[in-house]
Amino acid sequence: MTKLLSALIAFSTLLTLSCNKADSSEPRAAAAPAGQAQPAPAASTDPAAGLTAGGQAVNAQGAATLEFKKRIDAYIKIHNDAEAKVPNLKRTDDPKEISDRESALAAAIMTLRAGAKPGEIFAIEYQPYFIKIVQDDFKGRSAADRKALISELPKNIKVDINTVYPTTLPLETFPPALLRKLPDLPPELEYRIVARSLILRDVKANLIVDILRDVVPTIPS
Amino acid sequence: MESTMKRPPVRFVVICWALLALAAAGQAITGQQRAPATAMSAATEVQAPIGKDSVKFLVIGDSGTGDRAQNETGAQMWQAHSVFPYEFAIMLGDNLYGSERPQDFVAKFERPYKPLLDANISFYAALGNHDDPNQRYYKNFGMGGKRYYTYQKKDVRFYALDSNYMDQDQQKWLEEELKNSNSKWKIAYFHHPIYSSGGRHGSEVDLRSIVEPLFIKYNLNVVFAGHEHFYERLKPQKGINYFTAGGSAKLRAGDIVGSSALTAKGFDTEQSFMVVEIDGDVMRFQTISKRGKRVDSGEIRRIPNS
Repeated sequence: MTKLLSALIAFSTLLTLSCNKADSSEPRAAAAPAGQAQPAPAASTDPAAGLTAGGQAVNAQGAATLEFKKRIDAYIKIHNDAEAKVPNLKRTDDPKEISDRESALAAAIMTLRAGAKPGEIFAIEYQPYFIKIVQDDFKGRSAADRKALISELPKNIKVDINTVYPTTLPLETFPPALLRKLPDLPPELEYRIVARSLILRDVKANLIVDILRDVVPTIPS
Repeated sequence: MESTMKRPPVRFVVICWALLALAAAGQAITGQQRAPATAMSAATEVQAPIGKDSVKFLVIGDSGTGDRAQNETGAQMWQAHSVFPYEFAIMLGDNLYGSERPQDFVAKFERPYKPLLDANISFYAALGNHDDPNQRYYKNFGMGGKRYYTYQKKDVRFYALDSNYMDQDQQKWLEEELKNSNSKWKIAYFHHPIYSSGGRHGSEVDLRSIVEPLFIKYNLNVVFAGHEHFYERLKPQKGINYFTAGGSAKLRAGDIVGSSALTAKGFDTEQSFMVVEIDGDVMRFQTISKRGKRVDSGEIRRIPNS
């Protein structure tokens, strides 16, 4: 009985600490910019709902969205800088021009982002929002549907940040209903699911920009 | 004097003859398999179009393998063209499987469809899950640098969608384009079928929940999709006619679920493609197998918008 009580006290202390950490790392409440989707649809079930800072409620979702957008904008600046260094991509009869340009753009971005680490855009502070959105979405799907969403790629596929998406592999179709729940992205970027990870992919460069691992719930085979 | 050379036993001679005969047969089969694709294309059962000034097009899906099946089906498409002179082709995605090096564009598109390209038949591609979206810059795919786009052919408005990534921008674009079109016919095509009897994939209900309300609201007439490696004509759903034609090179034999209530006609035993004619208020279609058999045909009458 004493052991159980101690365990409960330890757990609640840990929970309080993690809440305080999340709280202090997030800016004050801020509305998402116009046209910007909120990362989580229901505040009542949100992992950070009910947090307070100095007695004021914190709109953690809005803050996360703003921070995410800032980081996306910073990436787009890098993308644009890299794009300025490679030849323009125009419609062409020659597929070599397309693949050369894609490779050149990827190489330029990889150089500009040398040493990039997972979490640079999917920052640790708001990863729980993304995880929750994806996991809630998958929970609402049938087993067959969940399997279908990750069936096109080999199970053991490994991808890494700031590397080219494997050119011989297909892209898993991204479910539109899930896409609606995630923050909007500019046309240069897209979300994709790779095995159990959510990735950000640079479309023109075919480059993996960031990875959030173990987001997709395990699906029994 | 006894000869050192013994006559071979009869049984041995029989076995040798049998082996020789088998080897000869094997060579004949191998020779046949290596025959050029064009020599393999049997006479086509395709029928000539009826309308004088009709819109005539070819429908192909999941075609970019570069293998023998694609080449043979491509040869059959060209043979069909001599009877049914389609003016352009729509591609339902998976235009290039696997790597997309310059030589892959040749092996998986330019070579199998060379006669069509030489005859200035335009292609208008949609993207599949195996396609790098940068294919949109390849002129021969007619995408104008866009992942999703629209174009007009006489009375018909075509919408080529990117069903791999149906984001809000695309949804808004689609709604605007459907709303602003006064075309007699509205036809959408994209990779993932929103109704399907495929055992491997089946209906893409997630996508359906997004696009179907728009199709209904703005009186879309026909939808073509691929992804499933067979041909299926579906029973009309909420007034819209759906076709799956994703077996123009890849084939998933026997994948159509036999008990499906959705199927009006299915064909999953051989590669296939479609030729379509839109003539006033009537759309006539024929589905042709790799060996030139007409496996489905019919007509759809447009119901004038209320």
